[in-house]
Amino acid sequence: MKLLKKGAEADIYLTRWDNLPAILKVRKAKRYRNPILDAKIRKQRTIKESQIISEVKSYGIPTPLVYYVNLKKSSITMQEIPGKPVHDLPDSKIIELSTEIGRLVGMMHKNGIMHGDLTTSNFILYKNKVYVIDFGLSQKTIKPEDHAVDLRLIKEILNSAHAKIMESTWKNFLLGYKSVVGPTNYAKITNLVSVIESRGRYATVV
Amino acid sequence: MIGLGVESTAHTFSCAILEKKGKQGKILSDVRKIYRPPEGEGIHPREASRHHVENSAIVLSECLQEAGVTIKDLDIVSYAAGPGLGPCLRVGAVVARSLASYYNIPIYPVNHAIGHIELGKLLTGAKNPLVLLVSGGHTMLLAFLNKQWRVFGETLDITLGQLLDQFGRSLGFASPCGKNIEDLALSTSNYVLLPYSVKGNDVSFSGLLSATKSIVQKSKADACFSLQETAFAMISETVERALSFTRKKELLVVGGVAANKRLSEMLQDVCKRHGCKFFVAPQKYAGDCGSQICWTGLLESQVKKGVSLEETFVTQSWRLDSVKVDY
Ligand SMILES: Nc1ncnc2c1ncn2[C@@H]1O[C@H](COP(=O)(O)OP(=O)(O)O)[C@@H](O)[C@H]1O
Ligand SMILES: [Mg+2]
Repeated sequence: MKLLKKGAEADIYLTRWDNLPAILKVRKAKRYRNPILDAKIRKQRTIKESQIISEVKSYGIPTPLVYYVNLKKSSITMQEIPGKPVHDLPDSKIIELSTEIGRLVGMMHKNGIMHGDLTTSNFILYKNKVYVIDFGLSQKTIKPEDHAVDLRLIKEILNSAHAKIMESTWKNFLLGYKSVVGPTNYAKITNLVSVIESRGRYATVV
Repeated sequence: MIGLGVESTAHTFSCAILEKKGKQGKILSDVRKIYRPPEGEGIHPREASRHHVENSAIVLSECLQEAGVTIKDLDIVSYAAGPGLGPCLRVGAVVARSLASYYNIPIYPVNHAIGHIELGKLLTGAKNPLVLLVSGGHTMLLAFLNKQWRVFGETLDITLGQLLDQFGRSLGFASPCGKNIEDLALSTSNYVLLPYSVKGNDVSFSGLLSATKSIVQKSKADACFSLQETAFAMISETVERALSFTRKKELLVVGGVAANKRLSEMLQDVCKRHGCKFFVAPQKYAGDCGSQICWTGLLESQVKKGVSLEETFVTQSWRLDSVKVDY
């Protein structure tokens, strides 16, 4: 099996399933983590990811099909999306896709799902469609505070990795997001984003 | 070029003298006096600033003496202008301002957090690292991009230093308590599950703090051990996430908590998985010190003239990602 990528937490292999190319995502044991804690985290995230990746499909969000889950090995075999992570696309394309990404995030939130890891590496563009992957940190929650944490993370990523195009991507993201969640929720959640930011910013130095 | 740096953002009052030749920097002296609040209590800004005032003259003269230079040899003076505690910051600023105006020496306000990073780079030789800044005032992951340090992850509530200190104080240790907790943790390997809260590249420690306090009764050592294991694993995971995302091939750890051996051990394991070089600031210079301020001032002096006395501000909440870096 070919190691394709080392992700943020898992190893990603290219494999086959039913003669189709497929992705095997393995959460290997991390030596640095206490074994009890490590086992708990890997199992929990594998379950969460396999459940929610399938559930959000019914809300119209493109995600890979899950073929097989092996809890003992904390691995998931899923459909390969043979496109490119949004992170690696040219700036102009990222600006253009930001509205769609905002829309997708809005759809998740509207249906009570927080993604938990909204970085530009976790959206794949394939055949003009944006797929969402990596649901290991996702949660079922309708709390506006949780949804605000999602927005703050993608904002942090745009502000760092994509600093040059921060303004236009963030503006487009918010446009797409607002179009789905509506103006009232939009105002509430973006306000909470400012609250979280000010908490970190003025954290007292002790 | 010979510089004097004055640090007084929190517990530490420190003066240091460095000599810069081209890209090379040499620490000629670094003298510190550290304010220790009574056991079980946090830092009191007014008390700390009084400590700094009382010690400033002796620290300054010792640092000159040790370096074998006089005030007239100084090409520049730098001071930590923030972030930090207002009353403490003002002591350092006043010392620097007096020297600058009386002896007519160019003066440079320096961002304390950038100071940690720049001194770490100087002392370890890291070139283009992902930086983990872990101290009482900060818990941040940073990478340099387009002339600014950008934040790739941070704490959503309290810092790692605050977590350790606030927990240590509840056990009756005098802060900073990192070392006490580390020592006590070594005596056990009995792990108690505690809340683990990683949100993407960010962490949240407040739930962990209260949960750890609630298991103290059974065993202080187990609580210390489990707290470290959980908090450091959270930090290690966010480092791993940021490494994978930024594809940096170096990790540099700076700030007071960088001295913790268990944290370093975990981060080295993270680096191994990502084929990344591991650098940690030497123990003596990981925490707050005059050298970090002095060296950053010297770097600034390559591209900027000193500021006028009216511009010698202090800013309690001066974010490092708002600073343009031109050197
Ligand atoms: N189903 C998939 N199809 C194609 N590429 C994938 C797929 N799943 C993951 N990848 C690639 O592997 C990388 C890491 O996978 P991800 O699920 O995000 O793991 P991690 O949780 O470790 O970040 C992704 O950024 C993407 O490039
Ligand atoms: Mg990922």
